[in-house]
Amino acid sequence: MAKEKIQFEVNGKQVFLEVDPDELLIDVLRDHLGLKGTKAGCRGGECGACSIILNGKVVTSCLIPVMKADGGKITTVEGLEKDGELHPLQKAFVEKGAIQCGFCTPGMLLSAKNLLDQNPRPTIQEIKVAISGVLCRCTGYQKIIHAIHSVSKTIPSKEA
Amino acid sequence: MNLESSLVWPKRLHWEKYFRPRDIAEALKILEEFQGKARLLAGGTDLIPQIRNREARPRALVDITQIPGLDEIKLEGGVIRIGALVTHAQVAQSPLLREKALALTEGASQLGSPQIRNLGTIAGNIVSGQPGADTTIPLLVLDAKGKVKSEKGERIVPLTEFFLDTGKTTVDSTREMVTEIFFSPLADHESSVSLRLARRKALALPILNVSVVVSADMKRKKFNHVRIALGPVAPTPFRARKAEGILSSASIADGAIKEAARKAAQETSPRTSLLRGSEAYRREIIANLVERGIRKGLERLEVRHG
Repeated sequence: MAKEKIQFEVNGKQVFLEVDPDELLIDVLRDHLGLKGTKAGCRGGECGACSIILNGKVVTSCLIPVMKADGGKITTVEGLEKDGELHPLQKAFVEKGAIQCGFCTPGMLLSAKNLLDQNPRPTIQEIKVAISGVLCRCTGYQKIIHAIHSVSKTIPSKEA
Repeated sequence: MNLESSLVWPKRLHWEKYFRPRDIAEALKILEEFQGKARLLAGGTDLIPQIRNREARPRALVDITQIPGLDEIKLEGGVIRIGALVTHAQVAQSPLLREKALALTEGASQLGSPQIRNLGTIAGNIVSGQPGADTTIPLLVLDAKGKVKSEKGERIVPLTEFFLDTGKTTVDSTREMVTEIFFSPLADHESSVSLRLARRKALALPILNVSVVVSADMKRKKFNHVRIALGPVAPTPFRARKAEGILSSASIADGAIKEAARKAAQETSPRTSLLRGSEAYRREIIANLVERGIRKGLERLEVRHG
């Protein structure tokens, strides 16, 4: 199978890759780029563990042929911390005990970031909808919702 | 899915070629060249799992997401047009559709999850041909039509003639492409509703989807007509024509609404299913949701004409 040359931006860095045309984005992120924070759960778009932000939208990377990401802009969980400092959402997850086994955490964090990027002061209901695409089997939803809400309250509103 | 394939995760999906055509003609040409062995790819939310489960084995994928101009929702000459690449998220957030086709907005915002709504397209949702598809059911009561193109030409297919069997439509997705879906915006005396019952509120297949369009003269307390669609209750998405007939030009009254709801439950053919419950239960919820949908449609007209 002929290799294809593609490039995209991951967590602020341009990467150039040679891939097989039938590879999926999740596997290129994990196996080629070593970004193992993106988890492989169901591989059918149902559990949300592989969620990433692609071109400003949270999507399941298990459903995306890598060729489709060519030229795109990607954020994975590894892209959340800046200069060794955890992202406010990550800090809140730690402080509020919103992590148990951790498998859903990357998907939860990226779902939350995508929400706050578009809607800095969401209601609890809006938070629930935003994380509804990620399953937590430790069933720690309440603490996750509280952690996201605590961050949203610290983002100054436009009128303030 | 058999047990073995659900336990093993083949990473490679074994298509040999991946094309990114820049216009519709180029996409159709590639499909024709591959003689049934290539598939169109838009959101991929159905196709990629099908390939993984070995239900589809295309040699080539034709990614249409780079084709410009297909990602718009517009009102043009009194017709609402939804391009082939419009996602469920776009439909859910469209102010135009919220005002003129609320049932479709409601259907799209209940589908899958934010991730799936960001990827999946409503054209893909109808081409997949699932009898309970969240955007198909509202499109049926909106009397939507699809524009279908192939190398041979173009045809217009009303959604009521679109579905042949579960997972099977008149569109051959190895040779044809739905380029847009279109329908008339609802008038001032019309309202629409979609209701959904599922085991969870997200990431769960529907036990039942019901969509209703109510056209009524609220001053004279009379229905003009009502359109009712349901799924999954039969091998294809279902229009409850007999129930609709009961309400055609009928007075707005509890008796007629309940009779129509019961008729809808009778004229459908739900089967006992592990996922969706017994036949008796399903008939009961069909009657309940149809009644609730009609009442909600009337409520919306009342609020509007206060």
